[in-house]
Amino acid sequence: MSSKVQAVPLEQESSIGFLAAILLIARRELAAYFDSSIAYVYTIAFVVLANSIFMNEFFLTGTVDMTGFFDLLPFLLAFFLPAITMRLWAEEKKQRTIEVLLTLPIRTIQAVLGKYLAALALFFLFLIGSLPILFMLFTLGDPDPGLIASGYIGLVLFGALFLAFGSLLSALSSDQIVAFVISTVLGFALVLFGNDQFVAVVDGLAPTWALGTFLLESISVMPHYDAFVRGAIDLSSGLFFLLFTSLFLWLGALVLERNRG
Amino acid sequence: MIRVDNVSKRYGSALAVDSVSFEIGPGEIVGFLGPNGAGKSTLLKMMSTWLPPTSGSISIAGHDVVKAPLSVRRSLGYLPEHNALYEGMRVDRYLDFMGKARGLGGGLLKERIEWAVDKCSLGDVIRKRVSQCSKGFRQRIGVGSALLHNPPVILLDEPTHGLDPLQVVAFREFLQSLSEGRAILFSSHILAEVVAISERLLIINRGKLLCDSSLDELRASAKKKGAELEQAVLEIVRAEGGASRVEPVQ
Repeated sequence: MSSKVQAVPLEQESSIGFLAAILLIARRELAAYFDSSIAYVYTIAFVVLANSIFMNEFFLTGTVDMTGFFDLLPFLLAFFLPAITMRLWAEEKKQRTIEVLLTLPIRTIQAVLGKYLAALALFFLFLIGSLPILFMLFTLGDPDPGLIASGYIGLVLFGALFLAFGSLLSALSSDQIVAFVISTVLGFALVLFGNDQFVAVVDGLAPTWALGTFLLESISVMPHYDAFVRGAIDLSSGLFFLLFTSLFLWLGALVLERNRG
Repeated sequence: MIRVDNVSKRYGSALAVDSVSFEIGPGEIVGFLGPNGAGKSTLLKMMSTWLPPTSGSISIAGHDVVKAPLSVRRSLGYLPEHNALYEGMRVDRYLDFMGKARGLGGGLLKERIEWAVDKCSLGDVIRKRVSQCSKGFRQRIGVGSALLHNPPVILLDEPTHGLDPLQVVAFREFLQSLSEGRAILFSSHILAEVVAISERLLIINRGKLLCDSSLDELRASAKKKGAELEQAVLEIVRAEGGASRVEPVQ
């Protein structure tokens, strides 16, 4: 410490606006992704895999549309999105920076939304990586732009929901590996329960229970996502995604408030 | 400025803080002394709004920690135990982030960061990442960031931890220069530091406040018994059957 001391006047209480705090946290979080090179590695890996999936579908079907791509992408995202969210809160708890963050003059929900926004921004970067596919399709043929736009809306809503879910699980855990494994397993299950072949197999095991159909209709997110992939911008499915995304974010804030200390 | 009224904190069946009450007014620097695990950090965490008290009330600059936590946080400069920092951030960006989170901006933020860099001697590491800084620098980054918004109440949990002897002396002068109009409470388990920096002593052990007295009163009391201050303090801690691991005056 400098021994030269200088008295400073007491300032009046200052405060940061609701949205400004969210954006401040988001910027810090996004910078942390890029500082640790996580963002580069995840984005490159995702773009390579997603484009490979598309190319495979494209050469198999020979059609200029992205339906097959949109059908398979949830399986990839069920792995990649938990990789984004696992560190959000588990890392703060492990490094003990959570006490610094949550004793700043901001609300817990602002911190939750800020971190979520950063994760969402990284997910958008993933999606930007699929733009070469669009360029190729519109160069080679005449794809249905409405169908593609609807698919992307579904993808954004799907990603938003899974990121909020992953953020909640990260808030529940002190270990990011645990948060990643649980988020991936549960996320993968939510996607798998919507797979036609899986439903047929599970229904076939116990036809009277129709467990596969139950999982598809009651638990899986895929029927809501599929509506968008098939070109139907369905209000109820949109509300489903928005409602559960909001619920998981709110629960995340609640968990962090309850588990202080 | 700080009012702690009959505060207790319970973790399951364990009572970490037991019916503690005290007040600290503006201009006071108070040392919070106790062995490791005495309840100092728990009490500071409650005062910082990080933990809610199980019972009792805490008021910081006129705001209740449970009813108005945001107002408390605006009035508070808090250095938590272990001084956790964002390792991957550059020091200047960390200070910028902490200042903005406290509502500072523009010229005032720049001015306050320059003040913190000067007072905490952070010039050599300002462009480095926190992870590249030594323990002493990290402690000074924590203190600087806690004081950026010029808070009227300052809570520091083991602020001299990791500082070398010269830095401790400089820190003492720095803290004393801040005391005008502010309430400052800092914890330590080293009696020499508390004696050197503060005028008043709170001694806590096993969650109970054993002593709230000025150093002059403690010295006078010790003198009457023909003892040194250090012995008087250890007696207070031992009287309650605590493991007296308070480190003495050197």
